[in-house]
Amino acid sequence: MSLNFLSPLYLFGILGIVAPILIHLLTRQKKKYLRFSAVYLLMEVKNRCTKRSTPNRFFLLFIRCMAIILLSIAMSNPIFSFNTSNNFATNNPSANVFIVDDSYSMGTQVNQETYYSSAVKTVLEIIQSLPNASIYTVVSGSSSGRILQEWTDAPGKIKKILETSQPSVRTTDIGLAIKQALRLLEPVSKKNKHIYILTDRDRNGWDKNYPSALETKIQHPLHIIDFSEMRSGVNQAAVTRSEVQQEFLNNHHIVKVKIKVANLLESKLINKLNVSLWIDGKKKIGGTIDIDADSSAEKELSFPLQSNDFLNGEIRIENDSLITDNIRFFSHQPDQTIKTLVVDGDPNTVEHLSETFYLERALNPFDSSHSNIELTFSTPGELSRLNLSDYSVMILCNLQDLPYGYEQELEKYSLSGGALFITLGDQINTKFYNEKLGGILPVFLKAIHTTTKNKEPFRFLIQPSKHPVLNIFKGKALQEMKSITFDTIYSIEAREGTNYTTPITFKNEFPAIIESINGKGKVILFTSSIDRDWNNFPIQPTFLPWIQRWIKYSARGLDSHLKKNLLIGEPFYLQKSSEKPTVYITSPNGKVTYPSSINGKIEFQDTDTPGVYKIYQDPNNFSTRETSTILPQLPYGAELIGSFNVNIDPIESIPGKISNDEIKSLLPETNITFSSGYQKLNVKKTGESRAISTFILILMGIMLLFEGWLVRKE
Amino acid sequence: MDKKITLDHNLEVFSRIASLKIHTTKLVEGLLSGHHRSQNKGSSVEFADYKDYSPGDETKHIDWKVVGKTDKHQIKQFEQSTNLKATILLDASGSMGYESTNPKAIKKMDYARTLVAALSYLFLKQSDSVGLYLFNETITTPVPARSKPTHFKYILHELVMLTPQGATKLESVIESLAKQLFGRGIIVLVSDLLTKETGIEKKLNLLATRGMEVIIFHILDSDEVSLPFEGDIVFESLEDDSSIGLNPDDIRETYQREIQKKIKYYRSLCSNLGIDYIFLETSTPLEQGLTYYLSRRKNPGKR
Repeated sequence: MSLNFLSPLYLFGILGIVAPILIHLLTRQKKKYLRFSAVYLLMEVKNRCTKRSTPNRFFLLFIRCMAIILLSIAMSNPIFSFNTSNNFATNNPSANVFIVDDSYSMGTQVNQETYYSSAVKTVLEIIQSLPNASIYTVVSGSSSGRILQEWTDAPGKIKKILETSQPSVRTTDIGLAIKQALRLLEPVSKKNKHIYILTDRDRNGWDKNYPSALETKIQHPLHIIDFSEMRSGVNQAAVTRSEVQQEFLNNHHIVKVKIKVANLLESKLINKLNVSLWIDGKKKIGGTIDIDADSSAEKELSFPLQSNDFLNGEIRIENDSLITDNIRFFSHQPDQTIKTLVVDGDPNTVEHLSETFYLERALNPFDSSHSNIELTFSTPGELSRLNLSDYSVMILCNLQDLPYGYEQELEKYSLSGGALFITLGDQINTKFYNEKLGGILPVFLKAIHTTTKNKEPFRFLIQPSKHPVLNIFKGKALQEMKSITFDTIYSIEAREGTNYTTPITFKNEFPAIIESINGKGKVILFTSSIDRDWNNFPIQPTFLPWIQRWIKYSARGLDSHLKKNLLIGEPFYLQKSSEKPTVYITSPNGKVTYPSSINGKIEFQDTDTPGVYKIYQDPNNFSTRETSTILPQLPYGAELIGSFNVNIDPIESIPGKISNDEIKSLLPETNITFSSGYQKLNVKKTGESRAISTFILILMGIMLLFEGWLVRKE
Repeated sequence: MDKKITLDHNLEVFSRIASLKIHTTKLVEGLLSGHHRSQNKGSSVEFADYKDYSPGDETKHIDWKVVGKTDKHQIKQFEQSTNLKATILLDASGSMGYESTNPKAIKKMDYARTLVAALSYLFLKQSDSVGLYLFNETITTPVPARSKPTHFKYILHELVMLTPQGATKLESVIESLAKQLFGRGIIVLVSDLLTKETGIEKKLNLLATRGMEVIIFHILDSDEVSLPFEGDIVFESLEDDSSIGLNPDDIRETYQREIQKKIKYYRSLCSNLGIDYIFLETSTPLEQGLTYYLSRRKNPGKR
């Protein structure tokens, strides 16, 4: 047990007891002695008589002195602890590094206090118990590894820094903090050096590669103070994922948000956990979710778009003891058009003879943006001058082959989320497709099949489908599709080890559409031509919705070639050519950054706040900077061009704790002592580690009331 | 009993003896005299009757005037004074030395001293023999009974020389005294009766059943009755080393009840045993005590 004081100077107030003592001495009555005959009778009577008409003046003095002492103690902000922090105290001044785990899990609340605030109090207690002339420094125990306070011998500085600090949203990284501590201790001349780690011992914060990862052996005593035992409130659930998809398949503009929520309780099912979706701070939709113990469940929340404004969204679940992991941010730009690059492999000066003539009319029928598909036409020769990352979908129409080495660009584009829609025709160099596009196409082009005039042409095998593209073709539309005839088609053969589906086939069971996933992008292969050379499909009324839906469907990973979802602390990168306007990034807290750009690569490091970061460009400015700059506001005329989300790493929410033995095995030959932060601050449990000042003040008040009553009685 | 009595010739002692004697003499002379008469007839100064001479009678008692007138040998008969033996027991324990906080009040020991002297003077004046026994835990100073008028000065001397000390052990004192006293007589006990002893009743009964006339003068200071003190006081015992600190306010009522209970007890006890019990507070004029005694002697049947 120990009693420590955060403001010990107030203890000098105890000297105030001199006042009542002096008053007592000056006003005391000299004790009278009387020789009396019937003392034995007085004794007998006194034993039977309990009445005390006058208070004992010493008792009154005691009460008054105690009241002053209690007031001084209360003012000095005492902290009582059963597990004395003097365990760490040495007689000689020492150098002490406090590694305070400020990961977001330390924000777990226990009786209106967080682990972090308890850790702060413990640091102050320990400092209080250390001899004068000791020096202290405080290092963050999260992945930032920041030095919160450089070496100082003034406990007041530490107190000021820590009491105004908050847990970060980062994950625990004890190794980084120990490295930092060792670096700090190295030049210190004091003999006694201590490292204190105040943590909730989240397993993810301990590197299995210790001690090699630390580079240096820990030669100083290491004190680990655990706050995980303090958990009385339970962090029951965390949102671990949120993905936005806009339904492009119809014009209803439905936005779907897929969420994943983890049940962090090892043996308790969560029933009807409230989940809600918020847009721009307003609740849009809510629901509940059931999650089995120690597992995760997914749910899809969808809502119709009412405008094409940028969506700044949050997924929230009901609060538990750790609020930080109950929110996950997402963003969406609904009015984003699908930028589509059409590469015409058989261009013709006569417009309607061009391979892409019907495609263009189908995808952009009114030469306006109603379809949300913005077409750019190119020839194979022009491809090398284009930046593929500007396009969400690339349609290769009857393309004989690609410029030398361009297949690698195409593969990279597809892997990073670009959609490829490939149509065939008479220009196709089968050898090129089969040999060079192995990384993209899951099939070999086997042979061309043509029907003669007397024979039945190829037709779609029409049957109701659940495929997202085809499920709208029902009834009359389905019947209409039966009339589509194909003269020529390619047969295919699967490549080894590839996966693909055939959403629609011909009646002879030859695939009409091959669909596959390549990295983050979709690859769609149409085994006939997109013009009228091999079929009459382009002049059929179903062609327009059919091709539009395939393009929109393939563009589902529209923005995925930009890494949109980052974790706290992860840098954001963006390729930018010198011809492109200047980019600005606004943080969720409103800070505007002019990010640095080196060799056309924009780098943004300041992702320490969870939320949606918006990317703007200034069409009137084409400059770049090598160092990042904070701007007071966005330049006039800057346009929103995109966004990315920064969320906390859910790994920190996983309840697994590293044990003493595991730590010892990770750090062999290190003098480690373990203690419980819960025991250190258990005062509140037995009445409010919370500081006992209030209790002492109440006691003092009671004493003064009692004193007043005694005096009044006298 | 026949212990030789010596006198202290110190001038101061003489002075105090003289003072006590004058005070006592005045006190007694001022009261009734001759109340103490014997019912037996014998040789005395007052004529009672004649009787015929018979051989063996002393010839000096023949009234020759009667012989001359009647020619009969008549012998005068006189009322004979009793040869009463009075034994005064004076408590000389420490508790008797209590001195009141009121400077004008008479000290308890002085009160007792005067009372004893007055009684002694009275006895001697009536030709009774008087003995004085001072006691605390034991009999400390025995003055054997004598009827000579000069015996008074010995009694006064012992009274003056008395210094109260020691604890009161009344039981053992009465027991030892009972062994020494023979025949009928008066025993006068002057004491504050402040003792923890519980067997006094038996001892007094012992005296009463042996035909002795017992008179108890129970003397207490007014302070001892009312406990009038104020403030925190450490009371130190006059008889031993015990002490107690308290505020009399806290116990006054209980104490007063207790002391009255004791007085009542002794009064009741004495009444039952046929003992005269006279309670005297030092604030009570001493004459009252003596008056009571004398009236008692005048009317022996009256109790």
